[in-house]
Amino acid sequence: MNGIIAAARAYLAVSLRERVTLFWFLIFPVFLFVILALIFSSTGKQGKMNFKIAVVNEEKATVAGPDFAAIVVHTFDSLSTAPSGQEPLFTLLRPHPGETTAAFRARADAALNRERITAVVVIPPGFNGAMVARLRASYATPTPIKVIVNNSSEASRVAAGIIAGVISGIDREVLIRAGQYVPSDETKPVTEWTGKNKHAVSYASFLLPGVILMAFFTSGLFGVPGTILYSRDRHILQRYFVTPFTPLRYLLGFSIGQLGLCLLQFALLYVIGRFWLGAQVNFGRPGAILFLVLGFFTFLAFGFLVAALAKTGDGGMAIGNLLNIPLIFLGGLFFPVGNLPLALKVVVFANPVTYIAAGLRMSLGLGGEGMPLVASIAVPIAWIGICSLIAARRISWGVQ
Amino acid sequence: MGYYHDMADINGTLLQVSELTKHYGDIRAVDGISFSVPRGTVFTILGPNGAGKTTTLEILEGLRPPDSGTIEIFGKRVRRVDRRVKERIGVLLQEANFEPYLKVHETIELFAAFFAHAYATRDIMALVSLTEKRNALVKNLSGGQRQRLALGVALVNDPDLLFLDEPTTGLDPQARHNIWSIVTGLKERDKTIVLTTHYMEEAEALSDYVCIMDHGKIIAADTPRALAARLGKETMIEFTADQVPAAARNSLSGRFPQLRQDGGTITLEVADLVPALQHLLGWAAENGITLDNLVIRQPNLEDVFLTLTGRRLRE
Repeated sequence: MNGIIAAARAYLAVSLRERVTLFWFLIFPVFLFVILALIFSSTGKQGKMNFKIAVVNEEKATVAGPDFAAIVVHTFDSLSTAPSGQEPLFTLLRPHPGETTAAFRARADAALNRERITAVVVIPPGFNGAMVARLRASYATPTPIKVIVNNSSEASRVAAGIIAGVISGIDREVLIRAGQYVPSDETKPVTEWTGKNKHAVSYASFLLPGVILMAFFTSGLFGVPGTILYSRDRHILQRYFVTPFTPLRYLLGFSIGQLGLCLLQFALLYVIGRFWLGAQVNFGRPGAILFLVLGFFTFLAFGFLVAALAKTGDGGMAIGNLLNIPLIFLGGLFFPVGNLPLALKVVVFANPVTYIAAGLRMSLGLGGEGMPLVASIAVPIAWIGICSLIAARRISWGVQ
Repeated sequence: MGYYHDMADINGTLLQVSELTKHYGDIRAVDGISFSVPRGTVFTILGPNGAGKTTTLEILEGLRPPDSGTIEIFGKRVRRVDRRVKERIGVLLQEANFEPYLKVHETIELFAAFFAHAYATRDIMALVSLTEKRNALVKNLSGGQRQRLALGVALVNDPDLLFLDEPTTGLDPQARHNIWSIVTGLKERDKTIVLTTHYMEEAEALSDYVCIMDHGKIIAADTPRALAARLGKETMIEFTADQVPAAARNSLSGRFPQLRQDGGTITLEVADLVPALQHLLGWAAENGITLDNLVIRQPNLEDVFLTLTGRRLRE
């Protein structure tokens, strides 16, 4: 037991001293997390993003004076066109010729649920009258415009903030022109959430579990085989195994060390997410702990698989990179993967990261991609079994 | 085989190997070798690169199984060296490295944790003179310091039997002598050491017994003195000379049939020293040849190897 603990401690000490390891396994995930959180919290300000939305005008009442509902529609319409070569802020889902407002609303809601669009802006009946009333008496509150977004889509959450800014801008402009603008009376549109989670989730909260899993994944896929293959190539393992220390004990010690590294990654990302970026995620839930542990073992097993398949450390890095791209980017860690083409969906459904990410987010109440709970547990376990079996049969310790 | 039995009777045998073989494909790396190592001795396996020394040691260290043959170690016959045996042996591998980002004391502590009983880290560091480097990272050690660390790690469990595979290869003369003095100290503490080397001087300086290997076989084994004595009462005359004309060389080899030339160095094996020297000096004067670095010495293990194989150890 002493040897196993000593090996775990040594692995941790080496990982924390070696600059490349330190960067990729601790600094890079933090860097990525902060950068993504900061970029997406200010999305739209630079006009470089495009959000597909629907604007449903349910206002039918005709009142004397301007048609404020039409002004709102026109504003979004104008924001959906851009000079040649530039990306407009919005792309509008438009009603078909002859389509009723109710039918268009139903189609827009369905598209939002399937994440085909990021938001539905609903101008409710009575909007014009409310605006006129507001212009006559500044204390009157206009009937709020509803912005419906999908809480399982981070793009949707980002769009909600931008749309709110646009609507507030229209409201402010109208009131200023009428000489009725009082900053304290400024209203914001009501945001209504669809999807399983009825509460708004910040992007940092949504991103945190994904970045934690990515950190586990990176250290599993690259750190595990890198260390094993490097140690084998340099005959460090041979030196261990001429003592009573066996490969099995080495694996145990190594795995405990890797667990320590992942706990450090988790703690660092959690502290930054919670206290700097304002992420509100409760990882104390049993389901969350289950999926974090499942993620750790799955990525550890993938690391052993790579170590078994590669003949050298360089080969291990190449195989790791080959697996990294599809597993990470088609695993739903950073963006939804529900609407990908069929060919890519095959990878998505075979990918254990998809299930672990979805399971973790579901258990944290952050939405998820709607994977059944049983599959979210069974698929990663199956991968752990497959990877471990191949690794046990093929891995070479430099000892016959 | 006579040597094998003789040695088994001295002091008690700690390690006995019989008919050990190991193939790599069609290559016979170890070809039916037998030897025994008495307790408290330094037993050196001497041979050129590729002779099978390291493979032999790797079998005895438990890194590789033999294809056939038996190993009797600490009085027990084993098919393969197991954990219980490993508790009692110390190993310095030829190519072993340590984690570069571990400190010296952490490396020793790590290996100490692998054994049921181990020396205190500070004692090991003192033994191999690394106390001042206790907090240095392995990657920052010099070649000689790393080898001393490797030796310290090999000694961490106070082994009864120590395997040192080419412990001084690649080291500068001072570092080499440091290692030699540690090994000599261990010998004085009655440790049993199996050493491989292709340095004849190292084998002569450290060994109680030498076994010469070539092409996977043991071609001679005995004490260094006894091995050298196999060349009879010959004395070696060695000198360097530039540009010896072919006719002059032929006339010299006519007088000394055992003449060997290695670059500019000429070695003569002579039975009767005084007339041989007189003849050599006359030959040099007659041919206008200057004899530089003239040395008269007794035969050494290099000469034994040359006589047995026709090649030098480092060829």
